[in-house]
Amino acid sequence: MTENTPNTLLQSLPESFEKGPEWLRELRSRAAEGLRAQGLPTKRTEAWRFTPVRPLVEVGLSPAAGDGLSVPSAVPKGVTVRSLREVLAREPGLLQGRLDLAGTPEHFAALNTALFEDGLWVDVAERTVVGAPVEIRHAVGRAGVSYPRVLVTVGEDAEVAFIETYQGRAAGGLTNSVVEVDVGRNAKVSHVRIHENAGLQVGRVDVRQAADSRYRSTVVTLGGALLRLDVRALLEGAGAECQLDGAYLVEGRDHVDHHTLVEHRAPHCRSDQTYRGIASGHGTAVFDGIVIVHRGAQKTEAHQENRNLLLSDAATIHTKPHLEIDADDVICSHGATIGSIDEDQLFYLRARGIPQDLAHAMLTYAFLESIIDRVSHEPTRTRMREALLARIPHGDAIREVT
Amino acid sequence: MLKIENLHVEVDGKPILKGITLDIAAGEVHAIMGPNGSGKSTLAYVLAGREGYEVTKGSVTYKGQNLLEMEPEVRAAEGVFLGFQYPVAIPGVSNIYFLKAALNAIRKHRGQDPLDAIDFMKLSKEKAAIVQLPDELTKRAVNDGFSGGEKKRNEIFQMAMLEPSLAVLDETDSGLDIDALRVVAQGVNALRGPERAMLVITHYQRLLDYIVPDVVHVLIDGRIVRTGDKDLAKQLEKQGYSEVRDAIQP
Repeated sequence: MTENTPNTLLQSLPESFEKGPEWLRELRSRAAEGLRAQGLPTKRTEAWRFTPVRPLVEVGLSPAAGDGLSVPSAVPKGVTVRSLREVLAREPGLLQGRLDLAGTPEHFAALNTALFEDGLWVDVAERTVVGAPVEIRHAVGRAGVSYPRVLVTVGEDAEVAFIETYQGRAAGGLTNSVVEVDVGRNAKVSHVRIHENAGLQVGRVDVRQAADSRYRSTVVTLGGALLRLDVRALLEGAGAECQLDGAYLVEGRDHVDHHTLVEHRAPHCRSDQTYRGIASGHGTAVFDGIVIVHRGAQKTEAHQENRNLLLSDAATIHTKPHLEIDADDVICSHGATIGSIDEDQLFYLRARGIPQDLAHAMLTYAFLESIIDRVSHEPTRTRMREALLARIPHGDAIREVT
Repeated sequence: MLKIENLHVEVDGKPILKGITLDIAAGEVHAIMGPNGSGKSTLAYVLAGREGYEVTKGSVTYKGQNLLEMEPEVRAAEGVFLGFQYPVAIPGVSNIYFLKAALNAIRKHRGQDPLDAIDFMKLSKEKAAIVQLPDELTKRAVNDGFSGGEKKRNEIFQMAMLEPSLAVLDETDSGLDIDALRVVAQGVNALRGPERAMLVITHYQRLLDYIVPDVVHVLIDGRIVRTGDKDLAKQLEKQGYSEVRDAIQP
């Protein structure tokens, strides 16, 4: 055993909680206590069965200098972006009750809560409709552990899109991120998250939705030495709708693990999840999605689909969509598939003169592009497509004909 | 143009084609008629190069070359076109972009420069008109959500775009109502020419009222049992395949 087993790490958690307002100190110590009681996950932890924890722990806990977050250079009108550190120092009351949407965090998210020093607060005022997306850039792969924290609060009837990019070198430290999105009544939020060369990453997205709100998440993960992302949407108000989409691609020895959780806590809500992945080389991809329909969440409509292409014998895919339903008047569906490139489609393209390798690449691209195609903002779509084309064989040839 | 000699083909070890001999010259339209399970689609797939069909005996020569040694895409580039009986839908791949990739791959094989976007769109508009394929369909994903008739028109549209030397049309009439059949047949007829050979595979004589063949072959149980002119098709329509089958059985 190395010294950096979870327990020794937790014993040495720095008591840096004296700073800041009392509610924050409480929040941090609750997170730390929870961690000490519960520990970090091990391979016997169900939610971590297929993803090794050790590489994430071996980096240690020491915060890197800064959190790798850059403040957007241009912020659309109606949006305020502030440093969390600054707000906590000057007007902590503004953030009370908002920095911990999901209740007591667990595991790595709890570490972030206990240890984050700064971050961004993106606030969208009521009834503001923002045209251009807000861009939040994360530099990953820096030495040590970065604890970026982003809070997005969207007022009633507001509409906003934001893009997060996680970009860096494949090797280096760990990025342990927490992003919280509080969606006000009748607000609409589109959230795009792109991981490129993700390195070591563990991330958590917590979304809380008020009545009649719409939240759409599109996660694109293009490789990653070891990446684990949990996206959780809490449908708290009646009539809320969320769409969680994802596309992931692993090759080489990449390992990416996407977990989703949608909790229907109010009636007349709708959720729709579509994740698609491709595994080639010696890559491993994991998808685990849960939909929970609580008692009283009648007239829920919840759909979940995970489709995968396994392109090499040495690659691995684990998929586990599941539903827990405690209401009787609901429409729910879920399904998962793991397959290879469709031979009929491949032959059709070849019979028209397209060389086999290009035909293969076109089908691979189309499989993931269908997720990107659901993003409504055209420049964002283009950007995601470009990122995907850069990772797909014959990307240039495909670009020419699309 | 196409010379098939004593072709034997097995699928999963089961003999399907049991000695087909066929000679199609440039400018000719041959029809192959036969009941279900006679091996018609197998012949089409073998000519296009689909995997899973094992040639155990015989040869196929196309423009003096051994066709069976070529990859499917090379056959297409050399001018072989298969009109599918069941064109597959390919969500996420746009019809028009896929055709552009196909056409430019074929042009590259022939040592030609790729068509630029403007010339390509011009050509596509012109060819879509031949089969009355709406602009909107040319831009949708390949065959995705197309009706039976739209799929078949799309096949002929692709044929018109790629201008093959040898077109093999596998049950192009199946699933078509009479109006759609007429449109598709007109599209095919517009592409008839002295440089082009066609092999029209069908179960029913109906299609051959519109695409009038030079030669008709009857395929039963993997063998060509009769060859004649267009009147043979009419005769078959009256008598049915069973009588032909009975007549050839000892």
